[in-house]
Amino acid sequence: MESLPRRLPDRKHMPDTSAVTVLLVEDDEVIRRSVALALERYGYRVTTAADGFDGLERFRDDRPDLLLLDVMLPGLDGIGLCRRIRETSTAPILMMSARGDSLDVVSGLEAGADDYVVKPVDTAVLVARIRSLLRRATFPPARPGTGRGTGTPDRLVFGDLAIDPAALEVYRDGEEVALAPTELRLLLEFAEHPGIVLDRQTLLRNVWDYGWDGDSRVVDLCVQRLRKKIGADRVETVRGFGYKLRR
Amino acid sequence: MPIVRALLNLRSLHWKIILLVSAACAAMALTVGVLVHESTLRRSMHEGAVKAVDQLDRARQEARRTGRPAPLADPAGLPDPLLRQVERHGQGTYYEDGPPAPVYWAAEQKDGQLYALRTDMTADLLTRQALDRHLWKYSLVTLAVVIPATALVMELPARRLRRVARTARRITAGDLQARTGMGRRGGDEITEIAATVDAMADSLRDRLAGEQRFTADVAHELRTPLMGLVTSAGLLPEGEATELVRDRVRVLRDLVEDLLEISRLDAGAERVEPRRVPLAELIEDSVARTGLPATVTATGAPVAETDPRRLDRIVTNLVVNAHRHGATPVEVDVSGLTITVRDHGPGFPPDLLAHGPQRFRTGAEQRGRGHGLGLTIAQGQAKVIGARLDFRNRPDDGGAVAEVRLPDGADDR
Repeated sequence: MESLPRRLPDRKHMPDTSAVTVLLVEDDEVIRRSVALALERYGYRVTTAADGFDGLERFRDDRPDLLLLDVMLPGLDGIGLCRRIRETSTAPILMMSARGDSLDVVSGLEAGADDYVVKPVDTAVLVARIRSLLRRATFPPARPGTGRGTGTPDRLVFGDLAIDPAALEVYRDGEEVALAPTELRLLLEFAEHPGIVLDRQTLLRNVWDYGWDGDSRVVDLCVQRLRKKIGADRVETVRGFGYKLRR
Repeated sequence: MPIVRALLNLRSLHWKIILLVSAACAAMALTVGVLVHESTLRRSMHEGAVKAVDQLDRARQEARRTGRPAPLADPAGLPDPLLRQVERHGQGTYYEDGPPAPVYWAAEQKDGQLYALRTDMTADLLTRQALDRHLWKYSLVTLAVVIPATALVMELPARRLRRVARTARRITAGDLQARTGMGRRGGDEITEIAATVDAMADSLRDRLAGEQRFTADVAHELRTPLMGLVTSAGLLPEGEATELVRDRVRVLRDLVEDLLEISRLDAGAERVEPRRVPLAELIEDSVARTGLPATVTATGAPVAETDPRRLDRIVTNLVVNAHRHGATPVEVDVSGLTITVRDHGPGFPPDLLAHGPQRFRTGAEQRGRGHGLGLTIAQGQAKVIGARLDFRNRPDDGGAVAEVRLPDGADDR
């Protein structure tokens, strides 16, 4: 840690990253090595893989806290890898796309990625996205009592859906639902404002930490994934405005 | 009811065909009518003449037999043409068309005596008039049946044509999956034009897909090494040389991104994602993100239905351009759905004012450096969101003014 980048973030406000392991799956050697080095300077532990199958193996062995996946990979591509990982894990996934077109972005998000960045991305931006994702994964800014669902203050109930904001657990018909961090964060955002329409902009800001430059498709696709898990009619689309959670 | 709408439009194909069919029907009815009228008249005249001569003969014979007075006539009471015929041929017939009633004269000069008799033709005339009336009546009845029938029959091809037009409109609006789907049935000209429209959409879609693929491939091939370069440059130890490298990397990166954006705009692959956005807030954020000094003023709290990311690209490029080629202070004004970016530099070059922004043309030397892609991008993005982007110079101080006018939400798509 002797040669720190110029604008190293204030350590006081940084989460303790010493324990955070990032798995970087990227086939381009220069990107793989330089991003690994850059992230290490920010204090992350980085393990790397050069193709999809190797990445899957590393994921199983190293149990990373966050995955940084390139979309185009030899063998198993980033989207396939993302889907495979999502079968067993809710670890936050950030996709990196060099093409940046709809196909890459939408398929990545549909496969279960939490967010995406388009190459080339500044290390500072990459770290900001990683941090936002980790916050979602580890937060609990559990705000008991603020929810307006029925039930005990620490357990919000919406029809067949029960949310425990302290334990970060969600149950549907008594069975626990495994939600990825972004999906959970999105659901909690909805649960805080039941029956109230939240527009995409608000959701982008509160869940993804984006300003106007955010891509509203990440919201739409995350809502779609959330619906698959908690019931299609729980989150209602209000055309032209946004979404709301049905009580 | 499309047929009603088509009939309300006097220039619709319906009316043209109806007019044509009516004209054809009328011409036919007129021809037949005139022919029938003429031939009936001729026959009637012929029969009238025969009858008149016959009656004259009969009257004379009867006079001889019964001793009643013969139908002698005073030449002064006879019409002149009849007298002339009698003079020439010794006998003659002449039709005198009333009033008080139409009559047929027959006259004969025999043994120095002039015999003449007129036969009343009123019944004949009435028959002919009735026939004419019938011809008129049934012609009109036929038209009254034929015109609506034509309109109805025309509705089928008109509907097919409208479908072709609708499909073409959808293709123009960017829906490249739209097809007329009329296949080969019919085999007429409409099928042909429908097939042509479909083929056109196919080739358009293929070409667009090809260009999009190419753009995406180029993006991948350029961005991958660039990403390595950007990240590696960030790892270099601080120093003057590092600054130089980083600066050039930044320029290269901006250039690549601008070129990719332009090729995406050119490929027509851009999809608008309109949202309701508070304009003033959005513009303030955009300007703040450029990191360049500019004052933002806003009148009221306008809300627009637009794609905020594209509007952000437009405003960012305009503000960056104002700084790069113009001079401070740069002022951004939001008023209603109009956003104005003005600077106090030498203004836009005449070439740009005349022909709009062109890539890699920065105009006059004093406009400074830059690759001239920013305004092209702003123009392209404005087109995508249906906004108008105009460039002008202020008459008082010559400063450059770029004005973005967002479409009115009411007629928006």
